[in-house]
Amino acid sequence: MRMRWREYRATILVAALSGAFGALLLQGTVLLTALVAGDSIGEKESVQLALGLVAVVFFAIAIFVGGIVTANTVGTVIAGRTRDIALLRLVGADARRLRASTARDGILVGLVGSLIGTVVGIGIMVGLVALGRSTGDLPETTPQLVTPMLVAPVVAVTLVTWLSSWVGSRRILAVSPIQASAAAVEPDADTVRSATGRRITAIALVAVGALLLAAGVVIGLVTMLGILVGMLGGILSFSGIVLAAPFVMPAVLRLVGRAMGSSPTARLAAENAVRNPARSSRATIGLVIGVTLVTMFAVATSSYYDMIVRASEQYPDDFAGVDETLAMTIGVFSVLFGFSAVIAAVGMVNTLSLSVLQRQRELGLLRALGFTAGQVRRMVLAEAAQMSVASVLFGLVLGVVYGWCGAQALLGSMLGGGLVAPSMPWFVLGGAVLVAAVLAAAASVAPARRATRVSPVAALAVD
Amino acid sequence: MTITTTEMGLAARVAGVSRRFGVGHGAVVALDDVSVGIRRGQFTAIMGPSGSGKSTLMHVMAGLDSSDNGSVWVGDTDITRLPDRDLTLLRRRRIGFVFQSFNLVPTLDARSNILLPFDLDGRKPNVDESRWIDSLVTTLGIADRLTHRPHELSGGQQQRVAIARALATRPDLVFADEPTGNLDSRSGREVLTLLTEACSRFGQSIAMVTHDPVAASYADRILFLADGRIVDERERSTPEQISAIMLAMEATR
Ligand SMILES: Nc1ncnc2c1ncn2[C@@H]1O[C@H](COP(=O)(O)OP(=O)(O)OP(=O)(O)O)[C@@H](O)[C@H]1O
Ligand SMILES: [Mg+2]
Repeated sequence: MRMRWREYRATILVAALSGAFGALLLQGTVLLTALVAGDSIGEKESVQLALGLVAVVFFAIAIFVGGIVTANTVGTVIAGRTRDIALLRLVGADARRLRASTARDGILVGLVGSLIGTVVGIGIMVGLVALGRSTGDLPETTPQLVTPMLVAPVVAVTLVTWLSSWVGSRRILAVSPIQASAAAVEPDADTVRSATGRRITAIALVAVGALLLAAGVVIGLVTMLGILVGMLGGILSFSGIVLAAPFVMPAVLRLVGRAMGSSPTARLAAENAVRNPARSSRATIGLVIGVTLVTMFAVATSSYYDMIVRASEQYPDDFAGVDETLAMTIGVFSVLFGFSAVIAAVGMVNTLSLSVLQRQRELGLLRALGFTAGQVRRMVLAEAAQMSVASVLFGLVLGVVYGWCGAQALLGSMLGGGLVAPSMPWFVLGGAVLVAAVLAAAASVAPARRATRVSPVAALAVD
Repeated sequence: MTITTTEMGLAARVAGVSRRFGVGHGAVVALDDVSVGIRRGQFTAIMGPSGSGKSTLMHVMAGLDSSDNGSVWVGDTDITRLPDRDLTLLRRRRIGFVFQSFNLVPTLDARSNILLPFDLDGRKPNVDESRWIDSLVTTLGIADRLTHRPHELSGGQQQRVAIARALATRPDLVFADEPTGNLDSRSGREVLTLLTEACSRFGQSIAMVTHDPVAASYADRILFLADGRIVDERERSTPEQISAIMLAMEATR
């Protein structure tokens, strides 16, 4: 299944971002180890281990988000190519072979993207080091940062891209040759398939996960080990939510859609966003994950901060000087989490704009029937706004729950701990609103303009 | 003082219209200096071999596609150089269209597709219009399919939903590109009777492309197109007469 170049663009970009992130993390680890650990061999090793662990965790999160984004991108492309695939099947192509070739393309795209990313990452690091030297923050001699180890992120990103292309191309198997002749586009084969099984698994995961989360919070009041239970609960329940996205997202979208008013444009947009659950969940789940991660971290650290402040008021001696380190740690970690959110946002913009392009005929029809070009543009914008607002809101809610549970489970037993109300840093809220607005605009303005530039008949002739 | 389209008894008119697709060697002349009118309150059939420019003529007349030169009027409005917004409003309020394929918005069910022209105008059908829509839906035999989405409908059912939509607002002018192409002869007859009645009872002007001489025999007037030109024109004729003209046209090609 050959794709067009523009359909690969986002996947390459995601792979490049992940590759650059990996390269930066690796080089940063080497550099920091050299700076922090003096000369003693033993100390060096333990610092390296600790930093390495952090780097691996964040890299894993980034490529996990990247993988989900890629799988959804591939899924979107394939949904838009249902008729092509059906035609190929009609003339005798083997579905499994089509799928395998799509996945194989993933290897190449992943490799190219991550290599580009690595080169960029090395370049950025060279710049940073030069900057550090000129300001005197870094010593004249720094260790060799470009090591053979840099191959590792490339391999990891390539493998993940391959795997997620494989997962995302699952839909090819469900395309039947009949769909080549269907006059209506977008027969949504995958919306109903195995829905019950999926629903039950998702509900079970969320239920068990929620119980474990609650248990984690309670245990956390006694011992730090609560975090282990809580983390398991978090992973289980979140997997459940991701699995349930096609059922859950339409409900969230509907809620947001109701707030958009009742002009024909808004109503049609609201219906469009909801009518194809598979499409809207593909477009949104990546961003939900990204926002959840960022919010979770922000809420956790901010709750942590509140506890520390409370504790340091009660026991000033034990907490002297803790403030500064804390602020810096929070800053660094925010950047690291933010990166995954960026990857998610790239994915969202791409999926949304792809799906606008795929609906060229539908938009042409609306224009033929009397939608003005402006109305079509507003409708597409409203749809994108609805999706990004819904995913940001949902991500915020999930992030608050997970962040608070995490902070409680880890720190509830701490000196001066106990139960605290979740606290939400204002910059997260402001950032989220901004992100939602920018994403909606980025995802819809250009493709809608393109869709309305041609005459209605030309748009209708597009296949 | 030039005579207006209305004074000519026409609902729409093109004068000296040409439409080329592509450039250079691969260029196709779809319409070649066509001048013709659709008579007000009449049922007009447009016939001609495949690729003769029938769909293109309808698109240009309805303001869906632009012409390279010549002028186009809908009623007394010269739409040749009308801004896109005005053109859209004119389409919305005065023209109904049934396309050759891809007629329905895939995310909306049949009922919402039929009500779409009202939605676009930001209003609901009034009591009289609702009654009219109900009767359309019944006549077209799609009453039990209203909650289905397009991909759940057969080709002919999709076509009938599109016809209901085109007639729902009782526009002055209806263009239908092979509306009976996917229908069996009985449903086809029902659709044709419906179109005839729309003309006689409500004074609507209807232009229909068809390849079927029987369908064309329902029309008050038949235009024959070949290679982008109007080559013949007849008042109401029998299917046999129409077949004979078509055969003669093919022979001289
Ligand atoms: N968008 C386009 N680009 C290039 N050529 C086109 C385009 N649309 C139509 N044509 C060409 O213009 C000519 C007339 O096309 P048109 O669709 O009007 O024919 P038609 O009479 O409706 O045929 P049919 O009965 O098969 O529907 C054809 O030769 C066609 O190939
Ligand atoms: Mg045609």
